[in-house]
Amino acid sequence: MVAKSKQSKRLFTIALLVIIALLALPAAAQDNVELTLSIGARGFGDAAPILIEACENEVGGISVEWERISDVPNESRSIYVTNFTARNSKPDIIAVDVIWPGDFAARGWVAPIEDYFSDDELAEYIPGFLAAAQVGGSTYAIPLYIDGIHLFYRADLLEKYGFETPTTWEALIAQAEAIVEGENNPDLAGFISMWAKIEGLFMNWLAFFQGAGGSFFDADGNLAINNEAGVKSLSTMVSMLEAGVAPESILTFRPNDARLLFQQERAVFLMVQDFVLATLTADDSPVKDAVQFTRVPYFEGNDMTNTTVIGGFLLAVNKHSENVEAAADFIKCFTSYESQVQASLIQGKVPTRPAVYDDERIVAEAPGVAALGANFVYAFARPSAQTGTAYPEISEIMQTEISAALLGEKSPEQALADAEAQILAIMP
Amino acid sequence: MKYANRAGPAFLAPALLIIAFVLLFPIFQTIVLSFGRNSTSIFIGYEYAGLANYQRLLNTPRFITSLSNTILFTAVTVPIELAIGIGLALVLDRNFRGKGLLRMAALFPWALPTALNALMWRWMFNTEFGLFNSMLSDLGLIAERINWLGGIPSAMQVMMFVSIWKTSSFMALLLLAGLQTIPDDLYEAGSVDGTSRFSEFRFITLPLLKPAILVSVLLRTMDAMRAFELPFNLTDGGPLTSTETLSLYAYRAIFQYVNFNLGSSAILIQFIIIMSISVFYILMIRRGDL
Repeated sequence: MVAKSKQSKRLFTIALLVIIALLALPAAAQDNVELTLSIGARGFGDAAPILIEACENEVGGISVEWERISDVPNESRSIYVTNFTARNSKPDIIAVDVIWPGDFAARGWVAPIEDYFSDDELAEYIPGFLAAAQVGGSTYAIPLYIDGIHLFYRADLLEKYGFETPTTWEALIAQAEAIVEGENNPDLAGFISMWAKIEGLFMNWLAFFQGAGGSFFDADGNLAINNEAGVKSLSTMVSMLEAGVAPESILTFRPNDARLLFQQERAVFLMVQDFVLATLTADDSPVKDAVQFTRVPYFEGNDMTNTTVIGGFLLAVNKHSENVEAAADFIKCFTSYESQVQASLIQGKVPTRPAVYDDERIVAEAPGVAALGANFVYAFARPSAQTGTAYPEISEIMQTEISAALLGEKSPEQALADAEAQILAIMP
Repeated sequence: MKYANRAGPAFLAPALLIIAFVLLFPIFQTIVLSFGRNSTSIFIGYEYAGLANYQRLLNTPRFITSLSNTILFTAVTVPIELAIGIGLALVLDRNFRGKGLLRMAALFPWALPTALNALMWRWMFNTEFGLFNSMLSDLGLIAERINWLGGIPSAMQVMMFVSIWKTSSFMALLLLAGLQTIPDDLYEAGSVDGTSRFSEFRFITLPLLKPAILVSVLLRTMDAMRAFELPFNLTDGGPLTSTETLSLYAYRAIFQYVNFNLGSSAILIQFIIIMSISVFYILMIRRGDL
């Protein structure tokens, strides 16, 4: 009897200890803020888990779950529209395309985060890129990586025909025609790019347009597309298509389709974003030694008006997140100098801090990334911050009208006049 | 008995409530949203705008284009699918060795997921790397590559072709089931009377197959009027908006421009058109029964 009671006493003590331990567990877990980071699996790839772990340790008290989303902007945008319309508090941190912050901020989907960053800290990012996330004095996102449009070319072919790297469109077209004729290869195209009716087409035209001295909004903030520079840029694109400098199939190309053709040694010039560089220079790439890149050209007489139209991603915080401050701290770490060096070395991501381009490790181990830095001095963001919620529709109008001109349904003059009228009708 | 009658509705109530919640509520919300402005929900910040969205749609050339694309797509594909479907069903209905295998093979295109199927065809119709251009140029039939999916109206023609390839077998399956309900003695009686093969088809098969034809045409018409996965994955609505269907337009209005109200109006117009076509078919089926 005595023995039995002793035994039950011991059992009771053990049970009590277990219960106390169980009660203590959630308390310990609560110290740990759980965040969800939504970012593309291809975009950040192998670098993502490494940087997440590093920042969990550096910030402390957080655990971050990586939600893998699509790298196709329109697909991930659909997910965000659903989540934010429903006021979901997850994901806490989202990767946003450079054209989204103005729109998302106006809709009240992303939180202003300038309070968590000092002015000096913000000044360390490429100003043209950060500007895309600044609306009405607030900052809504922090630049993560850049993805601008450059002109890639086959250095071996240019050398064979004794050409210099082209700086003007006139030179580029003449060179492309001469090389295609000289090579006498029906599979070789002079110039390829992404001229399907996608956002990239609008970026493409903007690059032509600026190289002709144009500016989407003039100094007074008025729409300025239906003018000499607009017509010159669009009619040059049309004539490249008509003259066969660009193949007809360019009208179905997205960036990766164009990249594939170039990689198969079937094109002289390629004008797409820099994310193709890693694949084009990989060991198994047939053009790895021949590919070089430069700034997108300008038109004769408009020297140096050409810019590097940028794409890329920023990190923003969900307005309904329960941990905005922890999320902002995580972003600060994830986009820090050291993180960007790592992202470049591991995944070839192009930094959004000018200082990183000169880092010894980048110069030595990722010379391609370092060289891109020269073009981003001329970084230009699309007119998305100014146009807010109207941007997606403005871009769609431009894509449609540019396509109509390229397909020969309208003259370039008519297309631009129609675009202007439609945009003015919806501008706030 | 009386007790059972009273208990019946009570037992049904939970199921009916669930149906009302998952089925009727979204429909109701879509209708209400279509009359709103800048609203994403009927509970928070709803703003009534009357017929403004409908007015805007009818004055938007892009919406009219998507409407006419959808109607053209349906009007061309459904009759061709029906003709091929009948032919296929007649063949599959015969008794021969390997009948089961052939029936399975005929069903294969329909069993493939549409999105996957569309991507597969998109690759084969690719201008630079596609199967068709490479075959045609190897055979010396074309000098220049054909820009299948980049041309107007070739992109729409390709889309129709893919749809016909895919869904003719679905038609055939439904018609085959109809064929098997026709009693053999009718054909025997016919052969006693010395009917030709054609009059056998014209006066026995076709009239008795009519209900099955109407049902399959009804299902296919509704499907074609709602086409989304095919244009989304094959052409993305392009070039320009030449293959953009109503569903794709509504999707873009909602998810790209975040205009739930305009998108809801487009969906409602589509819904009304499909409903009227369906009612018309159903009336025809009823009349056939009498």
